[in-house]
Amino acid sequence: MINCRRHFGLYWQSKLPRCNNAARLSMCLISTFSCLLVGTNAAIAQSADQMPPARSAKRVVAPNTTQRAFNAAAPAVVKLYGGGLGREHGYGTGTLVSADGKILTTLSLLTSRDRVRAVLADGRTFMARKMATDETRRLVMLKIDATDLPFLEMTDSTVLQPGSPVFALGNWFKVAEGREQVSVTRGTFSMRMLLDARRLAQDYDYRGDALLFDAITSNPGAPGGPLVDLNGNCVGILGRIVEARATLTRINYALPAEQLTDFIGGKVAERREGVASESAAQPYVGIRISRIGFRHVSPYVARVTRDSPADKAGIKRDDLVLMVGDRRISNASDYKEAIADTRPGDRVQFVIKRGDSLIAIPVEIGVKP
Amino acid sequence: MSGSVLLTLLLLLPLQTPDPYELELARGRVVQAAVNQVQPALVQIETVGGAQPVMDGPQGVREEGFRLADGPTTGVIVSNDGLILTSSFNFARNPSIITVTLSDGRRMVAKLLGRDEIRRLAMLKVEAESDLPVPAWVSRDEMRVGQYAIACGRGIGLADNPPFISVGIVSALDRRNGNAVQTDAKVSPINYGGPLLDIDGRILGILVPKAGSGGALAGAEWYDSGIGFAIYKRDIDEVFDRLVAGDVIEQGKIGIVLVPDDDSLVPDFLKSFFPAAKGVKIGNVMAGSPGKVADLREGDRVLSVDGQAVGDVEELLRRLSDRAAGESITLEIKRRWRTFDVTLTLVRADEIGSILEMPKASDDDAPADSKGSTED
Repeated sequence: MINCRRHFGLYWQSKLPRCNNAARLSMCLISTFSCLLVGTNAAIAQSADQMPPARSAKRVVAPNTTQRAFNAAAPAVVKLYGGGLGREHGYGTGTLVSADGKILTTLSLLTSRDRVRAVLADGRTFMARKMATDETRRLVMLKIDATDLPFLEMTDSTVLQPGSPVFALGNWFKVAEGREQVSVTRGTFSMRMLLDARRLAQDYDYRGDALLFDAITSNPGAPGGPLVDLNGNCVGILGRIVEARATLTRINYALPAEQLTDFIGGKVAERREGVASESAAQPYVGIRISRIGFRHVSPYVARVTRDSPADKAGIKRDDLVLMVGDRRISNASDYKEAIADTRPGDRVQFVIKRGDSLIAIPVEIGVKP
Repeated sequence: MSGSVLLTLLLLLPLQTPDPYELELARGRVVQAAVNQVQPALVQIETVGGAQPVMDGPQGVREEGFRLADGPTTGVIVSNDGLILTSSFNFARNPSIITVTLSDGRRMVAKLLGRDEIRRLAMLKVEAESDLPVPAWVSRDEMRVGQYAIACGRGIGLADNPPFISVGIVSALDRRNGNAVQTDAKVSPINYGGPLLDIDGRILGILVPKAGSGGALAGAEWYDSGIGFAIYKRDIDEVFDRLVAGDVIEQGKIGIVLVPDDDSLVPDFLKSFFPAAKGVKIGNVMAGSPGKVADLREGDRVLSVDGQAVGDVEELLRRLSDRAAGESITLEIKRRWRTFDVTLTLVRADEIGSILEMPKASDDDAPADSKGSTED
């Protein structure tokens, strides 16, 4: 019904030349009813490339969906300028998350200075100061002194389905100069996954949820901008430029919005490496993985300690460890990491290749003697 | 009055378009439905062992510029008894162990059968009961530039999760010597070996890195650029049996160096009197190559390949780029005032230097008339 009302309004307001009021009313009514008849999803869902061809002459142009999403989100997107060095660029994007001037962005050299220049969508410039930092997720909260600002509320990203359109806004490559508005790019949401990435040839130590999509946002200046859905609601914040460990290619992702509400609310998340696990008993399996110098070689079992958890579970020498739990193992250091993430008493499934067969062996993690 | 109503009715009904917002939602659902169609036939491939491939270039042997990762890759089931088609890119490291995880979570050891280094395809086999789901394909004749194209891959995430998808369109047909469909969907190691789908979830082609020329990884540096390629069913069928039989199809070489014509010293006014010579000039013929055996000489000009005229070096190289070792080709050669045909058999790059007599062309490339005579 909302549709039909929109259609009525559009036709009524459109200035059709040389029409009396009666004709205009009749057109509105026809539009409204034909919308009721044709505008069902079944008709649309058939195939999008079977759309009737566009006719230019008297077509009423409604704002398209990208425009709508952009108009809803862009007023709350901020261009940031600060420190930079070498490959770290001195510009970026921030997202206003409160009416009193809290700006959420990613932690980088840009925010290393005490003050960062923030240019709002309306062209006003403020100096922002650092309010809080989330070292784990590499986020930083900036604050400018202003009131009644447009801002984005965090929307649960589970509204996205594979195939949903998403839009990313930002100041990539600082092409938006002076008072210009930020850029928008459109993509398709794909999946939610655990981020396992590298950055500048080192492991990226944040391993949390990430929203993956196919718009290219892994560009300088883009991190910190919002990922919005069809309605312009903020479902995520674009993450720093990283390479997926699985492919060693850059991935385009956002941190899910619902996980950022505590940080926006002022709570600073603690680092995941808790002190508790340090003092507690160390996990122990009793396998030595073959290793030649510092070279990465396939994770064959070089030795199994007698009466260790591995020995009891039936793991033998020369077995090849493929997986520990749901983590893929490709060398000795992967294995070490995977075991470090377990706790004594856990039952963890090992996937082993022995000869030509794959075997799943549950191992009960023990306590390091 | 009633006339104007009727007129507006006639005018407006065909103009009625769906609400863009509803259309977007519907589009998302259609994409999801298409991916769901093919998802059971997608597999995740994992490899253990092997090393980064090296390239033998003018500067000596060095590692390829594109770094390979340890992560999983993608394949598509093509027969219900466990043949899996994927990209040769995924085995560039020559891994010692290959495992495959089906979308229902079953994990099994796979055997690498054949590879096609020209079309960048590879065939795997797993021992499975003959109940595996096989996807539907789109024939080349049905494809249109501009239609939706969805790239799917399992190169990231877990094997039983939804695959990574990227939505784009068919940008061009018959690219790369007529072998590939070009798409602007994002193609990368995440989906090499995976399918490019149409809006109904049927497969347009298998996604491969296929750009530029060079080593086993050439083309991968174009990842996510909006220029991606997928190999047609038609071309896959051509080499299907050889891949199953375990053949390694490599690019064929003649062993000649081509040189572009240098007419920079010729005055412009003379060029109009003497039109440029036809064909491509041979600069050097390598020892122990099919070219040497066929007695090609420096200064000969190649006028045509298999009856089709060649204009310049680039065209000749492009035409030869998808000819496999073992195939035979006929070159029309012009030497001084003489023009004659030479038939030679292409060999692998590593065989150049050791060819002392012309190898016999493989059976399926033998000329059609000789085949006919044996049947008579």
